[in-house]
Amino acid sequence: MVADSVIKLENVWKIYQFDKVELAVLKGVTLDISRGSFVVILGPSGSGKSTLLNMLGCLDLPSKGRVLLDGRDISKMSEDDLAQARGKKIGFVFQQFNLLQNLNALENVMLPMIFQGKSETERKKRAESLLASLGLQDRILHRPAELSGGEQQRIAIARSLSNNPEIIVADEPTGNLDSTTGQKIMEILINLHKDEKKTIVVVTHDPAIADYSSQVVHIRDGEIATNHLNAEKVLWDK
Amino acid sequence: MFKEYLKIAIKNLRTRQLRSWLTIFGIVIGVFLIMSLLSLSQGLKATVLNQLKAVGTDIVMIMPGNISDIMTTIVGNIQLSEEDLNVIKKTPGVEAVLPNVYKGEIVKYQNTSKTAILAGMDLRNALNVYIEDMGMKIATGRWPVPGKREVIVGSLVPTDVFPGMKTNTTINIKGKQFEIVGVLKSRGSKQDDSMIGLDLDIFRSITGERQGAPQAIAKIAAGYSVDQVSKDIKANLETQAKRQAGHGGESAYLVLTSDAMSGIVDNIMGIIQVVVFAFGSIAVLVGGIGIMNTMYTSVRERTREIGILKAVGAKNSTIVLIFLIESGIIGLIGGLGGMIPGLGLAKLIQAFGQVHPVFYIEASVTPGIILFGLLFSFGVGCLSGFFPARQAAKLKPVEALRRYE
Repeated sequence: MVADSVIKLENVWKIYQFDKVELAVLKGVTLDISRGSFVVILGPSGSGKSTLLNMLGCLDLPSKGRVLLDGRDISKMSEDDLAQARGKKIGFVFQQFNLLQNLNALENVMLPMIFQGKSETERKKRAESLLASLGLQDRILHRPAELSGGEQQRIAIARSLSNNPEIIVADEPTGNLDSTTGQKIMEILINLHKDEKKTIVVVTHDPAIADYSSQVVHIRDGEIATNHLNAEKVLWDK
Repeated sequence: MFKEYLKIAIKNLRTRQLRSWLTIFGIVIGVFLIMSLLSLSQGLKATVLNQLKAVGTDIVMIMPGNISDIMTTIVGNIQLSEEDLNVIKKTPGVEAVLPNVYKGEIVKYQNTSKTAILAGMDLRNALNVYIEDMGMKIATGRWPVPGKREVIVGSLVPTDVFPGMKTNTTINIKGKQFEIVGVLKSRGSKQDDSMIGLDLDIFRSITGERQGAPQAIAKIAAGYSVDQVSKDIKANLETQAKRQAGHGGESAYLVLTSDAMSGIVDNIMGIIQVVVFAFGSIAVLVGGIGIMNTMYTSVRERTREIGILKAVGAKNSTIVLIFLIESGIIGLIGGLGGMIPGLGLAKLIQAFGQVHPVFYIEASVTPGIILFGLLFSFGVGCLSGFFPARQAAKLKPVEALRRYE
């Protein structure tokens, strides 16, 4: 498999300025997320892993260095172009699910497709099939508040898939779930990687997940401590 | 896509129903004020201008006093003297002079007594001017014969003032019997249509107002320039006033052509409308600030939601649009809610005026006013939503998402 990269970080710095004090959260991180890989980012709190994930998700711009999305420098894109590209190529799964509370499951899943200008029939069809594939066919008209955490996270995963993105960025997707439910969510992500060949980046505390991955990145104090490419070691078919 | 944004906006408003309605109510009050006052002043203007249109263009009105000080003339009861009237009559180009005299008197018809406006009319010399230039047309009966105790009444007298009044019956004014010989067609104003007209000489003898007149009307003969003659009248009156200045002071006169009168009415009504609009606008402005406040609160509360929208691909313009639709809807509903009772109140006042002859005011409800009210409130809504919307759009997705409640 030729390792062409979906997202590439080149010597990325993120520096926050507090009055006269500078705080570097990322210190020259270089990371290549190749197409079809399953990357796990591990690190203690405050290590900069969320900031790193925001960079990978193109939610934030680097202070120094370059972030390339499909070979394009995101710092050089307009805010609107970047939003458009993000909506099309990146799917997000958050720890807090981040569903819109006043929309039902179906509407939440259809939302990213609105911004890509898809027709209503197309949106509805796609959202329904995504929700059904995640076992939520009976929940499509429920609002997030009426659903369990696991169900909400599955809706969020359906939403992240709505525009058929190249990469799914998950920020501690199991952090707010009990272990059984969390495991199910991880299984969904793993299946997406296996069956649909999606590129997946997961930030987690859970070392068990690392076993599934093709690449484990340890981050400490804003720097990459280790970056194991262990794709060869992992047997996906168990 | 606009339809989708509209749906999202409506859902957002419905999630915060109480606040949405309170904000809408703020706009309702302002628009209510503007709509009721504007339609009444517009109606007033239309009524007055209509009346003036009935007056021929070769008619000028003469008043003592100064144009910048009309109130002094009216309140101070300054009158044209008999000499003044003579000077006007002698000015070349003047065909006839009609002293415009009127007085409220108690009039008794059968068993009812009411105060009515009596108007003295120079029927002997200027009947044709009343008919041709003042728009007085007989509906039933005939004109009074000069010198006889006969009256002609406005169209509202037999219907509203003395219901059931018939021609060829008599009324009693200050103990004297007068025969009602005719009824005029409506001239479009409550005051004009409620008056009782009688011969000038008899008017003077029964009211005791023997001299002069508060105003006079002059008809300009054919072939003369109305503007030139009105200037001559003014000049002659002022020369005569100076000649008599022995007993003091300068005298100013106001000579108005019907064009000038329309212009003045237009001006005064224009000012009234501007003032009305200004006061109403203050109320709407307060409502607008209410919208802004609500929208800013909403932006703060929904910071996370905005972050989510941006993360899943919403452009800045989309965020602005969603917020503008929300504030626009608040404005529009407020406008609608204020307009209906506002115009209703104006119509009610009009109906009240028709029952009570004290004041006659028409409410003008035109598609223009309705459209203006809706556009105005919608505009205020959008404008007040603009800054909050821009603030929302400016949020960086990562910062917006970081705010955990």
